[in-house]
Amino acid sequence: MLEVDDLTVAYGGVVALNGVSLQVPEASITTVLGANGAGKTTLVRAISGLVAARGGSVRVDGTALTGMAPERIARLGVAHVPEGHGVISELSTEENLRLGCLWLGGANDRRAATEEAYELFPPLAARRRLPAANLSGGERQMLSIARALAARPRVLLLDEPSLGLAAVILAQIMQRLRELARSRNLAVLLIEQNARSALSVADEAVVLSLGSVVARDRAERLARDESLRHAYLGF
Amino acid sequence: MRTFLILTVDGVTSGFIYAMVALALVMIWRATRVINYAQGAMAMFTTYVALFAIQHRVTYWLAFVIALGAGFVFGAGVERLLVRPIEGRAPLNMVILTLGLLILLEAVAPMLFGGDVKSFPAPFSRIDITAGATQLYVSPFDIFVIAAALLVMLLLLVFFQRTTIGLRMRAAAFRPEIARLLGIRVGRMLTLGWGLAAVLGALAGVLIAPGIFLYPNNMDEALVFGFTGAILGGLDSPVGAVTGAIVVGLVLSYVGGYLGSDLETVGGLVMLIAVLMVRPQGLFAFHRQRQA
Amino acid sequence: MRNPLLRHATVCVALAVVLVLLTYVFDAFTDYKIAGVAIFFIAAAGLTVLTGVNGQLSLGHGALMAIGAYTTSLLLKEQPQLPMILPLLAAIVSTGVAGAVIGVAAARLRGPYLAGATLALAVGLPQVAVHYGSVFGGNQGLPVPVPTPPSALGGDFPNERWLAWIAIAAALITLFLLANLVSGATGARLRAVADDEAAASLAGINVARIQVLAFVVSAACAGLAGSLFAYWVGLTAPSGFGLSVSLQLLSAIVIGGLGSLSGAVLGSFLVVMAPFTISDLAGNLNLSSDVANNLPLALYGVVLIVTMLAFPRGIQGALFSLWRLAKRNLRRPQAPTVSTTA
Ligand SMILES: Nc1ncnc2c1ncn2[C@@H]1O[C@H](COP(=O)(O)OP(=O)(O)OP(=O)(O)O)[C@@H](O)[C@H]1O
Ligand SMILES: [Mg+2]
Repeated sequence: MLEVDDLTVAYGGVVALNGVSLQVPEASITTVLGANGAGKTTLVRAISGLVAARGGSVRVDGTALTGMAPERIARLGVAHVPEGHGVISELSTEENLRLGCLWLGGANDRRAATEEAYELFPPLAARRRLPAANLSGGERQMLSIARALAARPRVLLLDEPSLGLAAVILAQIMQRLRELARSRNLAVLLIEQNARSALSVADEAVVLSLGSVVARDRAERLARDESLRHAYLGF
Repeated sequence: MRTFLILTVDGVTSGFIYAMVALALVMIWRATRVINYAQGAMAMFTTYVALFAIQHRVTYWLAFVIALGAGFVFGAGVERLLVRPIEGRAPLNMVILTLGLLILLEAVAPMLFGGDVKSFPAPFSRIDITAGATQLYVSPFDIFVIAAALLVMLLLLVFFQRTTIGLRMRAAAFRPEIARLLGIRVGRMLTLGWGLAAVLGALAGVLIAPGIFLYPNNMDEALVFGFTGAILGGLDSPVGAVTGAIVVGLVLSYVGGYLGSDLETVGGLVMLIAVLMVRPQGLFAFHRQRQA
Repeated sequence: MRNPLLRHATVCVALAVVLVLLTYVFDAFTDYKIAGVAIFFIAAAGLTVLTGVNGQLSLGHGALMAIGAYTTSLLLKEQPQLPMILPLLAAIVSTGVAGAVIGVAAARLRGPYLAGATLALAVGLPQVAVHYGSVFGGNQGLPVPVPTPPSALGGDFPNERWLAWIAIAAALITLFLLANLVSGATGARLRAVADDEAAASLAGINVARIQVLAFVVSAACAGLAGSLFAYWVGLTAPSGFGLSVSLQLLSAIVIGGLGSLSGAVLGSFLVVMAPFTISDLAGNLNLSSDVANNLPLALYGVVLIVTMLAFPRGIQGALFSLWRLAKRNLRRPQAPTVSTTA
């Protein structure tokens, strides 16, 4: 369970996130929607400790993350797929995956975690030894998600995973994500520009605008709210 | 032919020493985007430490290990105490910082150990081997130098390519922020990298000293030629750095042998400029594929 | 004074008057040191334009000074009676040309690649003089006659004071020209290239040409300084232009405050004067020669490191912050000190 309470972040004088609160229960997906510059990336970066919050708190299963370094937060089970995928292109596919499961108990667990990743995303299996630089954009996006999942996280933060993915692949990945959230008891926070596909998989949805929450509801209800769609989601 | 063989062996031997300096520079450059101009001076210092130990009845091999250990502590300490606080500032700040360290070390060494030229022992004979009646132009010590350098390079290769901690270090060097998101303590990896680089430097210092003697700026040339080699190869490529440094060793040896020893550094300069004019980022520079 | 040209001229003339008067106050040895500061400043000011303003790092300015010094010494070897202005001008021209050649090469290089190439230059070039000893005098070097003051100044006018005057004149002319260059349109271009090459290029600036220009200007200054340095030392030898000269120049501009000419003045003063002072001090302390000889260098290394850790904008920046702090505290004596530091 991820709990964000009254989170405020500012870059110098610019307030990018203004008292945002939200909860992502286990085995569920919450999507955060909003226009460019709404503060979505800032939200996930604050959760994973990459930017310091000015106020408010973040908790994972009751543990307060406030003030912790990102590497500690990561080891507590928060996996973050950053905007623009964050695959390390100088390393091979396999090495990227191995980096995902650095903190799993034994060598066998780690091997199992990488093998699972290949099962989840078969195209990656054929590219184990290839430098990630040589993967296609979609493959890199898959690798990034697979790497995050290999950590066996409790909380998964996805910042615009749809970027550069073909609609078919996207639909597949979203479907998998839904299954995984259920089967692994994951709390997923899904940042999306592509509101339609995000709303189709999410349980809950939150709309951000200029750093504040302007709407929150069950995803399917929010998807039906015409005025909201026109005002913030553009479809 | 005889001259050529002698010069070749000389060139390869010193090339391997420059290669260790080059590799140390490249390791730090890849991780921190800093050229450690004090790399040579640090190695000079640890060599003095080894000599100090030897003068106090420590065996050569223990002194050898002490030098490498001191190198690790030294390198890690420099990263923690000097480099870390100014991380992220303009690159010139880092340049001046390491140059300041270079100047400081070369001034402090004679204060502590005396400024005179000292001889440093070699663990093996430096007289060329003869097989029957034929001279081989290579001494047991030359073989030791090359073998030690090759062994260390092999160990480093295995360390970086095959171990998890090596993988973590590479991740931290290539994409520090991503590495942190994966739970890697990037700061520690940098400290470790500086420590390992200084071990390489310390090894170079101990291996070069029997041939060129030990004095406060005895590593200046090794730094310049190691740096030249690293630039020739391309600062981001360890293989390139080693290759470049060995080429530098050979070219300097031939220039010195055939054209006059005064011209060695000029030869290095000419070669460097010639290569950089054709390939401004070194011979082994690669453009990151599919990424800007 | 709005007009920068006029302002710079006034400052330079005022400085000239003060400095010339000072040379009368001090003894000959102090005049000699003043000359040293002025000479060093000329090279440091040139390096300020290249590294501080234009962002190109040179670790090889000592080699450029060597070109100026050898030009002068070779001319004087052939024509010992040459009036001083000619060797000085010849040094400026020859080093300027060398600067253009190096600058063209350097314009292709970035970051450590440029640093490495200039470093190789600093180490390699002096060796040419060793190898071609019959021309350049080898390790012994070439002697340079002491410039003698014109008889109109009186029979007992010290040579050191005369050299100080020449050096001061050269330094102030350099300061005047560079101050105008840096504060004008060219200065803006130099800075634009340093800040962001791509943006500068988009704004219509010919990046390579500006970089070569910076190298030529900077080299010409180094040449002038090298020429005067030859007179100052009385000898031009490879050992006088080792890597340490290049590093001292770089240190001077950084310690003073990178990118500003007044910073170069401050830095030059410290770098030239400190060794004298520290040697005197060390001499009084009865230290062993190994310690005494190296104390100035050690301190100098410490100063560089501390400057980078604590005052990255040099003494000038530190003084400026201090001044602002003082002003604020004077204006609002009751202001809570804790909140203002945030
Ligand atoms: N490092 C930074 N420094 C200053 N301002 C920043 C920084 N990062 C983001 N901002 C500002 O904060 C606001 C929110 O940015 P953020 O990246 O969180 O938006 P976003 O919702 O992720 O947008 P997008 O959909 O384009 O990714 C924007 O106004 C942005 O300009
Ligand atoms: Mg974003």
